[in-house]
Amino acid sequence: MINIITALQCEARPLIEHYKLRGNARHNAFRCYQSDEMQLIVSGIGKLAAATATTYLAASNSGATTCAWLNLGIAGHADKPVGEALLAHKLIDSASEQQWFPGIVMPIICNSATLTTVDKPEQSYRKGTMVDMEASGFYAAAARFQSCELIHSLKIISDNRQHTSEQITEKTTTAMIHDSIATIDSIINPLLELSSQLNAIEQVPPEMYDFMAQWHFTTYQQNELRHLLRRWHALSLANKPSPHDFTNHTTSKAVLVAIKIFLDAEPISFNKKAAQ
Amino acid sequence: MHRLIYIEEDVADHPRTKTICERFPKATKVYCKYYGEVFNRKGQNFRLQKQQPALLLARKHKKHVLNAPDGYGIGGRRNYYFSHMLNCVYDCRYCFLQGMYRSANYVIFVNYEDFQQSIIETAALHPDEESWFFSGYDCDSLAYEPVTDFTSHFLPTFAQLPNAHLELRTKSLQIRTLLKSKPIDNCVVAYSFTPEEISQALEHGVPSVEKRIEAMIKLQQHGWRLGLRFDPMIYQVGFEEIYKNLFEQIFSRLSADSIHSVSLGTLRTPKAFHQNMVSLYPEEKLFAGRFDESRGMITYQRELEEQMTDFCYDQLMQHIPQSLFFACTPPE
Repeated sequence: MINIITALQCEARPLIEHYKLRGNARHNAFRCYQSDEMQLIVSGIGKLAAATATTYLAASNSGATTCAWLNLGIAGHADKPVGEALLAHKLIDSASEQQWFPGIVMPIICNSATLTTVDKPEQSYRKGTMVDMEASGFYAAAARFQSCELIHSLKIISDNRQHTSEQITEKTTTAMIHDSIATIDSIINPLLELSSQLNAIEQVPPEMYDFMAQWHFTTYQQNELRHLLRRWHALSLANKPSPHDFTNHTTSKAVLVAIKIFLDAEPISFNKKAAQ
Repeated sequence: MHRLIYIEEDVADHPRTKTICERFPKATKVYCKYYGEVFNRKGQNFRLQKQQPALLLARKHKKHVLNAPDGYGIGGRRNYYFSHMLNCVYDCRYCFLQGMYRSANYVIFVNYEDFQQSIIETAALHPDEESWFFSGYDCDSLAYEPVTDFTSHFLPTFAQLPNAHLELRTKSLQIRTLLKSKPIDNCVVAYSFTPEEISQALEHGVPSVEKRIEAMIKLQQHGWRLGLRFDPMIYQVGFEEIYKNLFEQIFSRLSADSIHSVSLGTLRTPKAFHQNMVSLYPEEKLFAGRFDESRGMITYQRELEEQMTDFCYDQLMQHIPQSLFFACTPPE
């Protein structure tokens, strides 16, 4: 699953079309669109709006699967060519001077650059950095919910010293995002893969619910049960864990003890032939 | 190949920073004030980062030399360790680093001279005693040698310190510098081993047992003193046979004359690190076995530890004199 935050509807439009996202009428605070593996929210301009939209999306997904986060939009740069897509490898909030370093662990086909978020549009260009108005708010909020390898900002250069921001229109913005779809795809797909990996790691063993239906486990005991069932799966045993094998135990505590005794007695072998 | 190199602004112009960066001409340089802004912060995932670790170049400001933990040593009374690098290029599932750090990125402290000065001063504290300095605690001593050039910088320091001993602990085949250098008596190149079956399952990216033995033979022929570290010993059903075979495989190839020391150690991990490791790799068979907790450490059950240690000790005694043997066991 990936959550995408854009500031403007004209930035979102090419994504909605390309990824065939559907509007979600349940949300009225922000415009939201979604597919089975993607949610897009249009935050409005500014870091506060971006932080609010990010938090809104995270809160509306509470308890759901692990998500990647991508802030996508346009940014200015003194000398990078208009239309170039750049992944942020360092984010700076200009007002607070706070810095973040996203963990880039996936292969990327575009270059990367520093991204500085400012509170107001600036007339002059800063040296050696992209400039936008949302990324720091987005990142600060998303970092509350996810590890840094799954939070990224991808910006398409919209203006520079030669092509100033006065020339930007909704139409040109949409066109620039549209023209960068291949690069956007190359970021989104590995992020989806990473979030899928994390989901697999964090997955609750499916039998857990069968056990919980049979006995009452406290929160502490649920953690213990999850740990034991994961051990069971890690041992690649022929039989799957089943509550039916423990029906002679009346309490959840006795069940946990019985599972532990069973697992502790299992032989460990790293020899592939023996394990089969 | 690193796509990104994070560099502390303070060492941006350090000659070693420039040399290392030259090895990665395509890497993008990202500057930070302090390496801790990137390394080991909250909200990082070691397992994901291990897929594509970044490189960080930084300065170590203090505590260049630290006391080695209890039980970490090979007979000396004064045991210290120093880490010019944090994290390892290998991915051994039993390694405590994956539980200790949130980040899998590699940190290289480029101010080698400060480490060297600290080693000289530490050795001078006890001029009439031997001090041991272990370099392979937070990283593999040799595995990143082509980038760090560690040995060519540190061997000369130890060559002029007769009461200081250096242990290079490794699983690496990066021995080119050692083979070009004149061996020094106060350096031991210690190779870590688990049986091949276990190595294949748990030591990801590590050269095979046979390749490591071949590297040791070259070092032996060149005159380097060698160490053997069976630490940690990893349990599996029928461990007796695979450890017996491992010892025979090694000692049938290596001459006992140049072996400086052999040590055995049991698997032991601080509880908090162990919990992190299990969270990162819940599907890992190593963590699915029975473990006990003893004084904040997660270990195999005591009887099993004793059984493995006794068996391996008896087997080793068929190959080496008792004087070469050291048990790496924390005191009770």
